[in-house]
Amino acid sequence: MTTLINQLNSGFTLFLSLLVEAIPFLLLGVLFSSVLLLLVDERKLLSFVPSHPVLGALFGSLVGFMFPVCECGNVPVSRRLLMQGIPGPVAIGFLFAAPTINPIVIWSTWIAFRDQPEIVVLRVLFSLIIATTLGWLFGVQKDLRPFLQPAIARFLPSPHPKTKNTTDDKSSTLLQSGTYFIGSSNQPVPLESIPPWKAESTLKKKDKKVVIDRPALKSLFLHPSKERLNLILENMVQEFRELGGVLVIGSLIAAIIQVAMPREFILSLGQSPVSSIIAMLLLGGIVSICSTVDAFFALSFASAFTGGSLLAFLVFGPMIDIKTVGLMLSVFKSRAVIYMMILAAQLTFLLTLAVNLYLS
Amino acid sequence: MVNRFLRKWHRYQPWLEPIALIAWGFLMLKYWITGKLNILIHPNYFALTIIGGLGLLVMGSLKARQVWQTQHQGKPPVSANATNLQHVNFFPPNWSNGLVLGAAILGLLITPQTFGSQTALQRGLTESLPNTRIQPQSFRTAAKSEERSLIEWIRLLNVNPEPDSYTGQQVKVTGFVIYPPSLPDNYLWLSRFVITCCAADAYPVGLPVLLPEENQFSYPQDSWLEIEGEMITQTLENERRLTIKATKLTPIPEPKNPYNY
Repeated sequence: MTTLINQLNSGFTLFLSLLVEAIPFLLLGVLFSSVLLLLVDERKLLSFVPSHPVLGALFGSLVGFMFPVCECGNVPVSRRLLMQGIPGPVAIGFLFAAPTINPIVIWSTWIAFRDQPEIVVLRVLFSLIIATTLGWLFGVQKDLRPFLQPAIARFLPSPHPKTKNTTDDKSSTLLQSGTYFIGSSNQPVPLESIPPWKAESTLKKKDKKVVIDRPALKSLFLHPSKERLNLILENMVQEFRELGGVLVIGSLIAAIIQVAMPREFILSLGQSPVSSIIAMLLLGGIVSICSTVDAFFALSFASAFTGGSLLAFLVFGPMIDIKTVGLMLSVFKSRAVIYMMILAAQLTFLLTLAVNLYLS
Repeated sequence: MVNRFLRKWHRYQPWLEPIALIAWGFLMLKYWITGKLNILIHPNYFALTIIGGLGLLVMGSLKARQVWQTQHQGKPPVSANATNLQHVNFFPPNWSNGLVLGAAILGLLITPQTFGSQTALQRGLTESLPNTRIQPQSFRTAAKSEERSLIEWIRLLNVNPEPDSYTGQQVKVTGFVIYPPSLPDNYLWLSRFVITCCAADAYPVGLPVLLPEENQFSYPQDSWLEIEGEMITQTLENERRLTIKATKLTPIPEPKNPYNY
């Protein structure tokens, strides 16, 4: 009986300490993401996108620094970006890297793993590698529309006709209807294949080559009106409520595992280089704790699990978990989501296994 | 009846949100003022908790003002969906509100307890620091051996693990009592938790203590002791170990800050 009460007490202390340590970071994350969401003009940001697929994917991955959003914020943002016609590699790079590549996440990881700085550095590095690879892989597919839900695909430009075989009889015997722009390339460009964020400048400069204006950096920011400030508050409250709920459940799971699981079992699972990574990948996929605070969750396993497996949790968890998969299905078709899950899990597994085998 | 209840619920339900925020802000400041924050997190991060608590109070009050204005002055509610925020919810909003508020109420009702022997035994007793802890490149210990804390002894032992090199040195340390099943009857284990971030990474360290008399049960498990004595080497579980040969054991109250750093 006293054992049970003791267990409950220490579980409760663990639960509260995770919450008390994590909530300030959650609040900070929510504040930043709300302010930037409403005060930064993302359409203008898009005009800085490089066109090379790998560079684009890398750019998308790094844009997270401008939009510090966690998992539940990055899906809506990348959906908006896709609908505004941003290239696929950029949107996918952003989708996978934004939850990790942002100042608040890096700071909280640093606080949790102050004494193991390699975890902080490798977390950022691995997330960048995986997000850029995924973005680049999906960039090979010129037309992303088959991968997307119909409601989103409708907004996307059709692929550029240059990529089609022009001697193909089936497509060119009849005149095609539609609105075309001439002069911007060797062939007329149909209106549908110009993404919305380029369309405006194309319409203005019909005779010239399509040049995208690079706006001044200052014009990226919107004026904070009273209405916007109210919306920022509303968005903060909504996000805090949502992420706070998930954080409470995540802390509860961490406390229960720590207190209820026999130590021998945890140690035998956590000390082997392969099984520890698999266990942590699974845990990362199930526990949908927000990336700004997941470092504290991982910390509670630090004494029993290998460094590589903690990294696997910190890299894979923000990319794929029950919550994000639910959100991703609102943008991508299930086949594409499954590809991404498998790819991300495999890459994480290989990279962190290398850490377990060669670095520690 | 049901209708009336629903109407009432409809009226009170928007208040859940500001109340949950304010409750958490209040709870975090309460832990700071009552000193319980010591049990939960490392002192380096107290400032974050205090600022976070104040931030939550401000956010909760602003939200409460909004709800008040909507209900009493007929202002239209601010709806994030009206703009293109497109926030996607994972839970129904009332569930997450309930979870956040429920955790705060539990925290207000139940006082967190310091980890004790049970947790220490579950996390494993050692007299060495695990690899994941800060390994200081250099550190100073008190010139007088009896001024070293339990943690300082452990750090010394980590650098020079030969127990014989400490033989005869005077000791005066504090910690709590554990009786591990592996120790003989005339020993106890004096332990303290070390934390680097928060209670989630609390790690027990300690040393075996040879009691002056046979009767170990005069010092109950989990009680706090100040032990004076000298260092000797004993063979325990077929291993030569640094042991405190106690000459004086004084029961002390649990310190306000039970951890060592």
